[in-house]
Amino acid sequence: MNYTPRPKVWGYKPVYGVETSAKVISYIPIPKTVITAGNIYAYHNYVFQVEPGLGIHVIDNSIPSDGHRVGFINVNGCAQISIKGDKLYTNSYDDIVVIDFSDLNHVREFSRLKGVFIEYRFDSPIAQPPGPGYYECPSYGSFVIEWKKDSVFQQCYKAN
Amino acid sequence: MKKIKYIHIVFWSLLFFGCEKSSDTAVALSTGKSGSLAKFTIIGNYIYAVSMHYLYTVDISNPSVPVKTNQSQLSFDMETIFPYKNRLFIGSKTGLYIYSIDTASIPRLIGEAKHGRSCDPVVANDSVSYSTLKGNTYCGPATSGLYVHDIKNLNTPLLKKLVPINDPIGLGMTDSALYVCCANAGLKVYNIRNAYDPMEESTISGSNFVDVIPYGKILICWVSDGISLYDIANQLQPIFIKKIAN
Repeated sequence: MNYTPRPKVWGYKPVYGVETSAKVISYIPIPKTVITAGNIYAYHNYVFQVEPGLGIHVIDNSIPSDGHRVGFINVNGCAQISIKGDKLYTNSYDDIVVIDFSDLNHVREFSRLKGVFIEYRFDSPIAQPPGPGYYECPSYGSFVIEWKKDSVFQQCYKAN
Repeated sequence: MKKIKYIHIVFWSLLFFGCEKSSDTAVALSTGKSGSLAKFTIIGNYIYAVSMHYLYTVDISNPSVPVKTNQSQLSFDMETIFPYKNRLFIGSKTGLYIYSIDTASIPRLIGEAKHGRSCDPVVANDSVSYSTLKGNTYCGPATSGLYVHDIKNLNTPLLKKLVPINDPIGLGMTDSALYVCCANAGLKVYNIRNAYDPMEESTISGSNFVDVIPYGKILICWVSDGISLYDIANQLQPIFIKKIAN
């Protein structure tokens, strides 16, 4: 029996990072343009907004009429946030990460517990491409850091 | 007498400034407030998180060493989590689920209101819950709109009113106002002094509204092209302050 592979189509291909670098938390004190907006969170004079898969936008709202963006916390695989006592709790892929932002000049990873959210590993925003269509299924155990347009086999499909 | 007065001043200022302070002291540390579409929430020393089929509990009493205390697998597709006192309100594609966290480390399901398949963020207080359902999307065939439940008996939430709305998404409430994001149809403001019978007060148009956080006297709105801020000193009459563009 002849097997004809399905033709390749234009779609998304995952770009992988090694775990150690993919999970590095860093803060850039420069406003970043929002590409895909995610959940919002208010804490004292700040408003935070998730950029799904990539990190967290920081807005200074001390004077609402002068509310403005101040920076961006890079957290690959990020989907959700919550805050208590100047500690920001978020997820990087399936890890829970605690970020200390008590001093905006020294935003840093405070602690981490790996593998908490078992479904976030493959259900996190970055585990799927940014747009609809066919994509190459990410390989098991990998850490997707971004998606590139490429010619791919019709393995996985995202409807919307 | 003077001494007592002095002690009072010290006590209250300690309490007040204690709450504002950021260090890990014995004083209760403050949390912020999330939009209604959130899947994370912190109550006391625990963070509760949902993914499609799981509710996770992580002890954060020592932020240096988070400890996972529970993971419940559930059959329904969970969308959102809303904290109120010792309760978690979880919106899912099949209904509203209420968990008790009397034992904080292990949440326990105590009530549910099923509504067919739909998406549904929820906000609530002691007696009433408001949730929005998008019946016309991939989430399913339930009637699209604002659902008002009497939750005085948590075990059996009672549907009191259904306000048909085409495309509702996130929502937020204050004492007297309910704000419902309706995408391109704007932000609807309801008077909820009669909690079970929200009366439409006004609609703010001109933006595509996704979610809101009433935060003190400011209403923080996630709109498709940025973050919009409104003054809600008068809760029923939001006044536009600024839009922080994407």
